[in-house]
Amino acid sequence: MNEANAENILEIRHLSKAFGSNVVLRDIDFKVNKGDVISIIGASGSGKSTLLRCTNLLELPTSGEILFHGKNILNRSFNASTYRAQVGMVFQSFNLFNNMTVLENCVVGQVHVLKKNKQDADQTARKYLERVGMLPYINAKPRQISGGQKQRVAIARALAMDPEVLLFDEPTSALDPEMVGEVLQVMKSLASDGMTMLVVTHEMAFARDVSTFVAFMKDGVLWEQGAPKELFSCPKRPETKEFLSRFLNA
Amino acid sequence: MTSSLPTDYWGRISYLLSKYGSSFLQGAGKTLVIALVGTFFGCLIGFLVGIVQTIPIAKNDPPLKKILLRFVRIILSIYVEVFRGTPMMVQAMFIYFGAMQYLNLHMGMWTAAFVIVSINTGAYMAETVRGGVLSVDIGQTEGARAIGMTHFQTMLYVVFPQALRNIIPQIGNNLIINIKDSSVLSVIGTIELFYVAKQNAGTYYWYFEAMSIAMAIYLVMTFVCSRLLRWWERKLDGPANYDLATTDSLAYTSGMVSFPGSADDMFNEHSRDADREGKQ
Repeated sequence: MNEANAENILEIRHLSKAFGSNVVLRDIDFKVNKGDVISIIGASGSGKSTLLRCTNLLELPTSGEILFHGKNILNRSFNASTYRAQVGMVFQSFNLFNNMTVLENCVVGQVHVLKKNKQDADQTARKYLERVGMLPYINAKPRQISGGQKQRVAIARALAMDPEVLLFDEPTSALDPEMVGEVLQVMKSLASDGMTMLVVTHEMAFARDVSTFVAFMKDGVLWEQGAPKELFSCPKRPETKEFLSRFLNA
Repeated sequence: MTSSLPTDYWGRISYLLSKYGSSFLQGAGKTLVIALVGTFFGCLIGFLVGIVQTIPIAKNDPPLKKILLRFVRIILSIYVEVFRGTPMMVQAMFIYFGAMQYLNLHMGMWTAAFVIVSINTGAYMAETVRGGVLSVDIGQTEGARAIGMTHFQTMLYVVFPQALRNIIPQIGNNLIINIKDSSVLSVIGTIELFYVAKQNAGTYYWYFEAMSIAMAIYLVMTFVCSRLLRWWERKLDGPANYDLATTDSLAYTSGMVSFPGSADDMFNEHSRDADREGKQ
């Protein structure tokens, strides 16, 4: 959404999602261009996570289109696995593979999905583990490290797949307060390196200071989107204003 | 001749052992082979059935896949219900004599034993595997799908290893049950431990003594197997500690690392202090 000539990676058109009669996403439209860092903010239950999960096809949208480089990924002929390999995801609850060490977590996808050879995969994994400061822990199992460390490994695992865009589903919400910083630090450094990111977050400071673009959601509707400065200083919609005033005055 | 036979319990036992010890051992060996092979193939059947039972059906799957999957699942449910719901002894005669009379198929002793125990174990394992797969957190599947793994890869590399770990106690249970229950195969003439014991008991009418020996051998086999499975479980769990891949000694202060010798040293220090205090 920065420059008009930026390469478009993802485009979501008229996306709706209902669980039975419960409508959680209503007619969502937005675009992700290369290099964007988009924060999606909003109260719990506003549909932010569902939007992200639809983007990665972990939930199937009820209607609408998701275009990845112009191709609709909801077509039956579209290979979801190939798509997911290009779109990394970081979960609130980490979802590291419990049966593998930290290193194996970052290698397994490269070897079996990207069909890289073991040495290359190993090297790539170590490179990204070093980047998130988890290289010393390659031999640990997920149950042996802290939440913040797990999330950093999860980020390394996603990066090791060399994705075009990274999705973050409330990456710091399950962490103790003192561990939030170490994860946000990694995300900030990724953003400054030009990684395309779509972040569902409750960290208003991150949304305001790091993202290039902020979207506000409430009751499954995307009410307002824009540059963080504008959205935070002079929100146009009363819904946004109300949400922000609650957050910023707290 | 008969007058020279021992009349006391231990005397008869040692007589049976010296005369038929090797045939008892052969019978025990056959029992063990039947149980191991039957459990192995039973697990294999159980895994296959369990996998099919846990394949997710998505709304936008092609109709043919849905129909086929439903059909196969009905067949598999019938298999599980029938073989879990009838005694293995009856199944043994049903299959062995049924094959002989109506398919003109004369199964050898081994084949019959393996087939019956495998099919029976498979029916139990199918449910166990299904439970094991369901017990693995859905987040693990999502994590795997999110890096582009297919359903098959997700199962093979992520869900199954964890499900397997969760169901090892149940596999062990099945192995132990099979060691014991292979005794029912004596009804189709399989010469395993119980068959041997019964034959030798019948020779002298020393049922108590012969069965004592059989009991002891069964118990040793099941006990050793259950200990071995425990050991396998612990091995799969991996070490409780891990080594930091760093030369930075400061990292060792994080406390979660097996710092070479530290725990022992500390313990010795304390015990030495305690000794000293005791003397004063």
